Amino acid sequence: MAAIALDQVDKIYPNGVHAVRDVSLDIRDGEFMILLGPSGCGKSTTLRMVAGLESVTGGTISIGGRIVNDVDPADRDIAIVFQNYALYPHMTVAQNLAFGLKLRRVAHDEIDRRIARIAETLGIGELLGRKPRELSGGQRQRVALGRALVREPKAFLLDEPLSNLDAKLRASMRTELIKLHRQLGTTIVHVTHDQVEAMTMGQRICIMRDGIVVQTGAPMAVYREPVDTFVAGFLASPPMNLLNGRLESVQDGSLAAVMGGVGLRLPEAQASLVHQLSGREVILGLRPEDFHLAPERGHPVEAYVVAIEVLGPEVILVAALGHPGNPEIMIRCPRGFTAAPGEKLIFHYDPREIHIFDVATKRALPRPSRRD
Amino acid sequence: MARTEIDRADARFGWMMAAPALATLFFVILFPVLWALFTSVHDYTLINPHFDNYSGLANFRRAITDPEFRHSLGLTAFFVVAVVVLEFLLGFLVALMLNTVQRMKPVYYGILLCPLLMNPVVVGLIWRMFLHPSLGIVNYLLGVVGVAPVNWLGSTKVALWTIIMVDIWHQVSFMVVLLLAGLSALPREPYEAARVDGANALQSFWHITLPLMLPIIVVTLLIRLIFAVRTYDLIYIMTRGGPGVATDLVSYFIYRTAFVSLNIGEASAMAIVLMGIVLLLTAFLHRYMRSLT
Repeated sequence: MAAIALDQVDKIYPNGVHAVRDVSLDIRDGEFMILLGPSGCGKSTTLRMVAGLESVTGGTISIGGRIVNDVDPADRDIAIVFQNYALYPHMTVAQNLAFGLKLRRVAHDEIDRRIARIAETLGIGELLGRKPRELSGGQRQRVALGRALVREPKAFLLDEPLSNLDAKLRASMRTELIKLHRQLGTTIVHVTHDQVEAMTMGQRICIMRDGIVVQTGAPMAVYREPVDTFVAGFLASPPMNLLNGRLESVQDGSLAAVMGGVGLRLPEAQASLVHQLSGREVILGLRPEDFHLAPERGHPVEAYVVAIEVLGPEVILVAALGHPGNPEIMIRCPRGFTAAPGEKLIFHYDPREIHIFDVATKRALPRPSRRD
Repeated sequence: MARTEIDRADARFGWMMAAPALATLFFVILFPVLWALFTSVHDYTLINPHFDNYSGLANFRRAITDPEFRHSLGLTAFFVVAVVVLEFLLGFLVALMLNTVQRMKPVYYGILLCPLLMNPVVVGLIWRMFLHPSLGIVNYLLGVVGVAPVNWLGSTKVALWTIIMVDIWHQVSFMVVLLLAGLSALPREPYEAARVDGANALQSFWHITLPLMLPIIVVTLLIRLIFAVRTYDLIYIMTRGGPGVATDLVSYFIYRTAFVSLNIGEASAMAIVLMGIVLLLTAFLHRYMRSLT
C-alpha cells in the first residue's frame, strides 16, 4: 500500500517531443485514480514514468514517500497491466503468474498457494496449463491482471487494460475491477480514454490534454463543474452543448446569455459574478440532460426538431434552439419520446445549470456554488 | 466431391500453365539427379564411358568402405559443426548488439552484407593472398607485433582452422541478418512486463529472448548446416584438399574421385550418399518448421 505523488513532472523524449508538462498529482493510499484523456495526451507516458519504464526528464515521482526517479522498475514494488496484456507467449498461464515471484525468490509452496488463490479469484483455474495463444481476449486480460495481483504489490498501474475487449466484456470487467479494488484496498492508477470507465470506476479523475493536467476531482465534481470547454466536451456522452453567444443586460437590469436571438436568463447569483463581462462574447454550455419537457423545471425555451436518435433506453433529440437554422444542440429525452422533423417544442431549463466559458481562454467563468 | 467438366477444364489449364516450369525443373534438377543415380549403379568411368557394366550396389559398398571417403565425411562433420556453432555464437552476439543500435543501422547492414555478396571464389583468392606465408599481409601484421609467421594453408594442423575462419568471415553475416530480423520482430511488451516483474538484462535474455527466438535459431542453424555440408569452392581455391588430405571436405573429395580419378560411377554413389544426408537434414528442418505453425 502506498501513496503516489508526482511533483512537477516533465517528460521530453530524445526526439524533442514534450509529452508531459509540469504534472503534479497526489494519489492517496488506496485510491482508485483515473488518468483520462484523448490519445497522445501524455497519460500513458505519465503511467510509464511511475512504473519506471520511462525516465523522468524533470520533477520527482515518489511512491510511499520514497523518491523513485532513479529506482529500477523491479525495485518499485508496483505491478502494471498493459493494454495488449504483454503475457510471456512461450510460458503457460501458471508460469506467467509465477515468473515475477520466481525472480523474487519466493518459496515454491508459497508461489503455488498464491497462484491457486488468484486463479480462484479470477476464475482462471482451468486455464493454468494453457499458453497465451490458446486463450481468448478476455481470458488473457484476466491472466494479465492475475500476474499483477499475484505479486501483491504496493500499487497497480493499469494502462488501458479494457480497451481491447468487446463492449459486453468491458462492462463486466469494469465491475470486477471495482470489486477487486474494494477487496484489496490497494492504490490503483488506471489510464483510459474512455469517459464511461472514468466516470464509473474512479474515485477521482485526472483529465489530461497535451501533456498537461486540465482538471482533477471526483467524477461528479468534474462532470458538474468542468474547468474549461475541453473537459465539458470530453466527459459524458453526448457531451455538453457548447454554443457561441453573448452576455447582455436586459431591461430589468439582470443579465441574459444570448445566442442566435435566444435569451437565456441567468440567475441572480451567477449574474453578479460575471456582470463585468456584459456585452462580451462567451461560450455557453448546457448539458443535454438539463432540458426538460415538464414545465415545472425552470424557464421555457423553443426548440425546432432536426432529427431524433432512438437509443432504446433514451432518445437523443437534435434540435435548433430558438429558430430553425440556429446551431444544433443535443437534448436527452425519455424513452418513448417522438417528434417530427421541423416540429416546434417547448423545453424547460434550469438557469443554474448554464455554464459560461471565456471565448479566448476557453476557461469556465465563476459559478455560484451549489449544494444540491 | 464430384468433378464437373469445369473442374477438369480448370485442372487441364493449370497443368498447361505449369508445364514449362515443370519441364525446366525436370531437365535442370531431376534429370541430373536421376542420371547420377543411374550412373552410381554402373561401372562408369571416363576411360570407359559406357553404361554396359551394371554393378549394382558395388560402388556404394566401395565408397562406404573407402577410408578416404570416411575421412572426408568425418572432416566435413567436424567442419560443419565448428563453422555453424562459431558462426551462430558470433552472429547472435553481433545481432544482439546491432538490435539495440538506433543510428546508422543501414551502414552496419551494408558493411555486414559485403562478404555475403562476394563470390566464394573471390573470397578464396583474397584470403589466399592475405594468408600467403611470406607475402601475405596477415603474417606481416603478426610480425609487426612480434608474432612468428604462421603457415596458414601449408600446415596440416592449421589449414582446416584457416578454412573455418575464412568461412566464418564469409558467412557470419548470414546468421547476423537472419537473427537480427528475428530479434527486431520480437514483441517489446514482454520485456517491459519482465522489467516490472523484476528481471535483469541477463534474466530477460535467458527467460524471454532465448525461448522466443528458439524457432528462428533452429531454422537458421539448419539452413546454415545444409549449406556448410556442401562447401566446395573455398577448398578448391585455397587448398585443393591439402596439405595432404587435411582439408579434404567431402564435396571436394567427390569432385576428385570424378574428375581426377575419372571414376564417375563411384563419385555418383558418394554424391547420392551425401544427398541422402542433406535430404535427411532438410526433412528434419521441414518437419520442425511445420510443427511451429
